[in-house]
Amino acid sequence: MSGASDESRSLRKFLRHKPAMISFVVILAYVAVAAAVILGDLVSVEDCERRYGPKSTPGFGVSQLFEKRLQDLSWYAEQIEQKLALRQKLKRRLQSRGVEPTNEKIEQELRGLRIGNLRPADISAEDFQIRLDSLWNTVAELDEFDDLNNPGSDTTTIERLTSAAEGQMRSLYAEQTPAEARHRNLHLLFGTDVAGRSVFLRSIYSIRVAILVGVVTGFISVAIGSLLGLAAGYFGGWVDGVVTWLYSTFASIPNIVMLMVLAYMFRGGEIDAWLNDLTGDRFGWLIGGTLDETLIPVFVAFSATFWIGPCRVIRGETLKLRESEYVQASQVMGYSRVRILLRHILPNISHLMLINFSLLFIGAIKSEVILSFLGIGVQSGASWGLMIDAARDEVLNDFFWQIGAATALMFGLVLAFNILSDALQDILDPKHV
Amino acid sequence: MWAYVLRRFFYNIPVFMGIVLLVMLALRVRDPVNGLLGKVKTEQEIAAKRMELGLDKPFVQQYGIFLKKLCTLDFDEESWVNRGQTVGEVMQRCVGPSLALTVPSLVLTTLISVAIALMSAWYRGRWLDKALVISAVLGMSVSFLVYIVFGQYYAAAWLPDQIGMSPFAVSGYEPLEKDGIGTYVLKHWPYYCLLPVLISVIVAMGYDTRFYRAVMVEESGRDYITTARAKGASQPKVMFVHMLKNAMIPIITRVVITIPFLITGSFLLEVYFAIPGMGKQLLTAVVEADFPIVQAFTAVFAAIYIASNLLTDVLYAVVDPRVRLS
Repeated sequence: MSGASDESRSLRKFLRHKPAMISFVVILAYVAVAAAVILGDLVSVEDCERRYGPKSTPGFGVSQLFEKRLQDLSWYAEQIEQKLALRQKLKRRLQSRGVEPTNEKIEQELRGLRIGNLRPADISAEDFQIRLDSLWNTVAELDEFDDLNNPGSDTTTIERLTSAAEGQMRSLYAEQTPAEARHRNLHLLFGTDVAGRSVFLRSIYSIRVAILVGVVTGFISVAIGSLLGLAAGYFGGWVDGVVTWLYSTFASIPNIVMLMVLAYMFRGGEIDAWLNDLTGDRFGWLIGGTLDETLIPVFVAFSATFWIGPCRVIRGETLKLRESEYVQASQVMGYSRVRILLRHILPNISHLMLINFSLLFIGAIKSEVILSFLGIGVQSGASWGLMIDAARDEVLNDFFWQIGAATALMFGLVLAFNILSDALQDILDPKHV
Repeated sequence: MWAYVLRRFFYNIPVFMGIVLLVMLALRVRDPVNGLLGKVKTEQEIAAKRMELGLDKPFVQQYGIFLKKLCTLDFDEESWVNRGQTVGEVMQRCVGPSLALTVPSLVLTTLISVAIALMSAWYRGRWLDKALVISAVLGMSVSFLVYIVFGQYYAAAWLPDQIGMSPFAVSGYEPLEKDGIGTYVLKHWPYYCLLPVLISVIVAMGYDTRFYRAVMVEESGRDYITTARAKGASQPKVMFVHMLKNAMIPIITRVVITIPFLITGSFLLEVYFAIPGMGKQLLTAVVEADFPIVQAFTAVFAAIYIASNLLTDVLYAVVDPRVRLS
């Protein structure tokens, strides 16, 4: 039985394993989105931080209470009003200098106003004021009603007035092209959070974080773990002693202490300063800022704890393989130790590396949530962990869009990986319990 | 066996020293003195503080002093942030709340998971088994944080609306010492701790059920089961007498391995429910650069971890005569 036919048999089994194939496609889709965010700038950090509308609007344009509709349209009107308010100040200042005020500066300010891709209408400041006044009149009419949420017999009147106010509000903003309108609907697909940021864009950006954290920590941990495990298992002696000591030590420090202490280490900027001294300021240039702004602390923290698992498993397997007949045969044939390790032992533990990678990937994504909470992890942009944590207060106000979006996207990815790693284990390592 | 225990003990001395070394080194990457003193400080003040905390000594000496303290079980060092409290006192205060959360959840999780795993193995391959396996995987794919957020929402906002009273607290804790054991068990514990315990049981159940089911399935394929069946033993007898007994070894191992983690507490639950346990204290200590507490916590945890690993191996040999300690 040669290695090649074994591999192709595993591949055939995998292709025939329907849940595994579906999961694989799902994961590829996530990776594609992550790649588009990283390479193609699909969603930028600025997009995550920008305001796209009033706070806590629900997604899919779900029908709302009159009160919330009123609040939202008032918010849009207030954005214009704030710019217009500058006029009064400007007027006073100019008049004190004896200059006749013009609206040029105000209109310039208004042209600069952006809510997502929504921009103010191309009209004069006076026209804005007229439209605003009529809007506020409608709103004042609405304020006459005591309880907007339980209108009873007044429903039709309130509906008419609210729609009118919404129409007046819309007239403050420029007519959007169909493409812009489509984009805007997409931005507001899952609603907005407390700061009016787009939940949809934030949850998409978070895919980048999850995939990066999963791939990089999975890769580093498996690489370190396999290297040490192979060396310890094959060479034995003092190498084995050192490696066993190392992983016993790391395993005996509680995971959470390790993460906290590493978080503490990276927070002060001392490591940045030290590395910059060492490399003549090339380090900061290389990573484009300080360590805190990158995901490097996350990678380090996870890799420091995650390499133990694969190391232990691979050391055990290598110990077993070292005694196997084909390895002894290659020894007798006088092959070098490096050749035996790379050509004969490595291929026979590669399935363990694959399984461990997929297990660590899940672990990394789920721990990222905790790490964001600890304050290392993602600081700029967004991550599912930050979103779920931010949703705590929203949930108490019955607003589920942010936590829903983050959980749903995370659930899809983690579930796919859970199914995939189960299938990998069944196919590649059937003896494992 | 005693020779084995002794050898393992000596083998673990360098491991333990390594743990202490790593944590102390990692902590000293940053200078804690600036954070501990206020905004306004002079060079002299900084130097004096450094001397007071013993940070002016060379690292090797600090390491030696701390190791000596550990060897003599001296936990009287003062906390840097909470002046007047020794490390031992802080630990004593925090371990209770942590155990109040972790012990019940470990017991409940194990009992429920083993029961579900048995059920799953009983109906192996049928719809109930499949449904259980699928729901375990689904449950595992949701973040711990989501369980906490929704748990708090239902307990604090939804349930009180439905029944007109609030059975669970969302934050806070009353220690055992305050009103005696009777009030604690009947009133305070259920009010403050039951909800977090339930949440952690639900989170852990997916993992445990899958593991125990795999163990049961593995056991059910063995020869002694076939023999028992051939002899005409009933299904309940095969499952509960023959199989469960043999499946006890991995179950015990898994439980013993989690024992050290009982004292670190469930950090996320403690923070979200404002329960003043070890995990929360540890986070505060790390953020405030309270070195004595972080170091002592880590050392104590590591000692318990190493001891329970040893205990697992010894228990193994006691339970299963085939295992030889060497």
